Amino acid sequence: MNPGRPHPLTVAIREIADIFGRMGFGIAYGPELEDEFHNFDALNVPPDHPARDMQDTFWIKDQPGKVLRTHTTVVTSRELERMAKEGRTEARVIAPGKVFRNEATDTTHEAQFYQLDGFAVGPVGTVTLAHLKGTLECFYREYLGEGVKVRFRPSFFGFTEPSVEVDAWFTAPGKEGKWLEMCGAGMLHPHDFSSVGLDPKKVAGFAFGGGIERMLMVKYGIPDTRLIHAGDIRFVYGFEKKTA
Amino acid sequence: MKVSLKWLQKYFDEPLPNAQEVADAYTFHAFEIEEAEGDLMDVKVLPNRAADCLCHRGLAKELAAILNIPLTRDPLREPLHMWDVGRPTLRIEIEDPKKCLRYMGAVVKGVQVGPSPAWLKEALERVGQRSINNLVDATNYVMLDLGQPLHAFDAHRLVERGGACSIVVRDAKDGERITILTGDEYGLTPERLLIVDGNADTPIGIAGVKGGSVAEITNATTDIIIESANFDGTSVRRTAQALKLVTDASLRFQNRPSPELCAYGMQAMLELIQKVAGGDAVGVVDAYPNPATLSPVSTTLSRINGLLGSEFTTQEMQDVFLRLDLPCKVDGETLTVTPPFERTDLLIPEDLAEEVGRILGYDRIAPTELPPIAGTPDQARYRGIERMKDQLVEQGFTEVSTQSFAKSGDVYLANPLDATKPALRTSLDENLADALERACRIAPLVFPPGQTPKLFEVGTVFPTAGEYLELRMTEGVPAWGKDAPTVDNLSIAKLEEYGKGYELKRYTLGTYQPFSAYPFALRDIAVWAPAGSDDGCTKSLIEQEAGTLLVRCDLFDTFEKGGRVSYAFRLVFNSSDRTLTDEEVNGIMAKISATLTKKGYEIR
Repeated sequence: MNPGRPHPLTVAIREIADIFGRMGFGIAYGPELEDEFHNFDALNVPPDHPARDMQDTFWIKDQPGKVLRTHTTVVTSRELERMAKEGRTEARVIAPGKVFRNEATDTTHEAQFYQLDGFAVGPVGTVTLAHLKGTLECFYREYLGEGVKVRFRPSFFGFTEPSVEVDAWFTAPGKEGKWLEMCGAGMLHPHDFSSVGLDPKKVAGFAFGGGIERMLMVKYGIPDTRLIHAGDIRFVYGFEKKTA
Repeated sequence: MKVSLKWLQKYFDEPLPNAQEVADAYTFHAFEIEEAEGDLMDVKVLPNRAADCLCHRGLAKELAAILNIPLTRDPLREPLHMWDVGRPTLRIEIEDPKKCLRYMGAVVKGVQVGPSPAWLKEALERVGQRSINNLVDATNYVMLDLGQPLHAFDAHRLVERGGACSIVVRDAKDGERITILTGDEYGLTPERLLIVDGNADTPIGIAGVKGGSVAEITNATTDIIIESANFDGTSVRRTAQALKLVTDASLRFQNRPSPELCAYGMQAMLELIQKVAGGDAVGVVDAYPNPATLSPVSTTLSRINGLLGSEFTTQEMQDVFLRLDLPCKVDGETLTVTPPFERTDLLIPEDLAEEVGRILGYDRIAPTELPPIAGTPDQARYRGIERMKDQLVEQGFTEVSTQSFAKSGDVYLANPLDATKPALRTSLDENLADALERACRIAPLVFPPGQTPKLFEVGTVFPTAGEYLELRMTEGVPAWGKDAPTVDNLSIAKLEEYGKGYELKRYTLGTYQPFSAYPFALRDIAVWAPAGSDDGCTKSLIEQEAGTLLVRCDLFDTFEKGGRVSYAFRLVFNSSDRTLTDEEVNGIMAKISATLTKKGYEIR
């Protein structure tokens, strides 16, 4: 019997899980149908923030306070909550999973897509922005190729301070190298800790998050993100064969 | 925010570096540049800095800090006029100080409305704004320069009582209507905040969004009331959204500039009006119930370095704050910054660390590996799920991924994007059936003859009882027994044990090859092969003759009779840019047959 094939996203997440696993990261999950507190409040997104508008977030009919999670950062929040309950001061976790945004779709946007979020937390001073850079550089190098470099640019996210945009220098086969926006990141905001019962005077850490489809598109030259979750096996079999 | 380099240059004696260097300075130390062309630059001001940087002054200030060159003048650091309140020519009343944090009004008499001077016209046009008249242009100029939205009303269109006009800021009444400057009329509800002519109780503007046409500046205008106010960001944003009326003013107010800015905006406006339209300011009234204050923020050298992973010195940090014009006191290791009124974003020690990091440059942060962590990372559940997938792939199943939205279900979205799919799926069944149907139709493109598609998906489903992770297959695995289920709830399955220590199969994918949107054509060919040939060389012959439209060629039958061997191949033709006609494909087949015959094959 001929074996079948896993979906390319499965292949990608296996590589990601393997690389981060070697850096000490576990994998966590959380609900896709989230509550407002974990998705927004706990992550320093105030009640009147534009991201909470109907035009950005899917809300649930007849269930006030329920949303389809807009980022897997919410898993970070739930994991921090678990750390607080278990009395731990150290954790490294990645959370690959589906997220939802109420926005028009095109070749680079879908209303549902996968995100890879991750965080590393430790006693204050032990996990820094320099570690974030080192971790992401190691990851993108292993995932995209040896020549990859990483740079930070200033950015803003409610749940990190400082916040940075992460670019990776990537050379696609047969093309010239260029800087590509890969993910958003930063140092976890003190609010992220205090809102779930951790003491921001005692723990600190970094977090990052970005679209997994984007990584796939960059790595394999996929022209349209909408191909990925269309349930079409021509996509699954659309990659030049390479031996495992 | 559209910025003109020439406008920015007004803030510096020293000539600014070229556009590329300015763009890089912003990109790596402050904000992304969305677009740059000639004198114009579109700066993507970050949300936390939109309170002070949606203007040329704010962006010049940033540039001064990044490039370390002094500003020639900073209008927000100049002393404020002690305005002569004079005769009370204007009364101002704020109904709810939470929605209107400050309202300054000035009455200017004897202005001359007309075209703007060339410099003003040019300055506005350079950033894509249309020149209207000297008064309106002045309000726009000051807003784009300092970030304070302003408005000018024709004073004679307001009712005077006891020698004074009256401005009231209040909620709209249900059903109240207003015609704005564009001529469009809007029906209002109490959530909308209005500027009202208090003596007549008629609306003259939608607070923070747009002025009304009733007090519009015309060529006949001689006396004006200038508004320099501050409205609550949420209220303005909701109004702009509800009325679908996003304006330069609403964009600024929704980012909560400091109410302190009103006075500087008014000062600049009165100066500019003098220059471009003349007239006398006869009175300035300021309703400012709760003056805004910012608290000092303290941090330490080691705290900043401990967050950034850097080894910056106190001297370097002090220098950053000096360049940013943030008053900073140093006491041993402790740095205390007192933010100037417009820097409403500086609230916690981490904010100061960010200022240090971005101004000195994140390129100075050295990538550092995390130290090893005790214990094995917990990936057991993940590996359990993936082990299930490996089992199915081994059994010939192909994994698909589909959308979570469905035509019907137990849980519905309050605001679906696609009205035909307003619910969340309760099972993977429907999507998987659709995927299978399509897979069967296109199977010859991806599978050899005789292989039918078998699919599975792992995904979250949302029945009333609560979401769970479902695994669903399009058919069973015979080897697992006749009654083995084709669906599983992975949220209750004990996958941690199953996954612990399991080594996942690794796959390496090559570059993606897009598939054609056009239908494919199938043809079979069976031949008696001449002596000395085999299936491989026969296939090569066919492929050579068929050319690039042949996307697949599979041997599906071989048999021997009378010392001869017969091969049967199935050919799949597909074009990336058109539907192939029968004639075209038959032509290719004829060419293949001819060549094979010439090489000693006998077509069966």
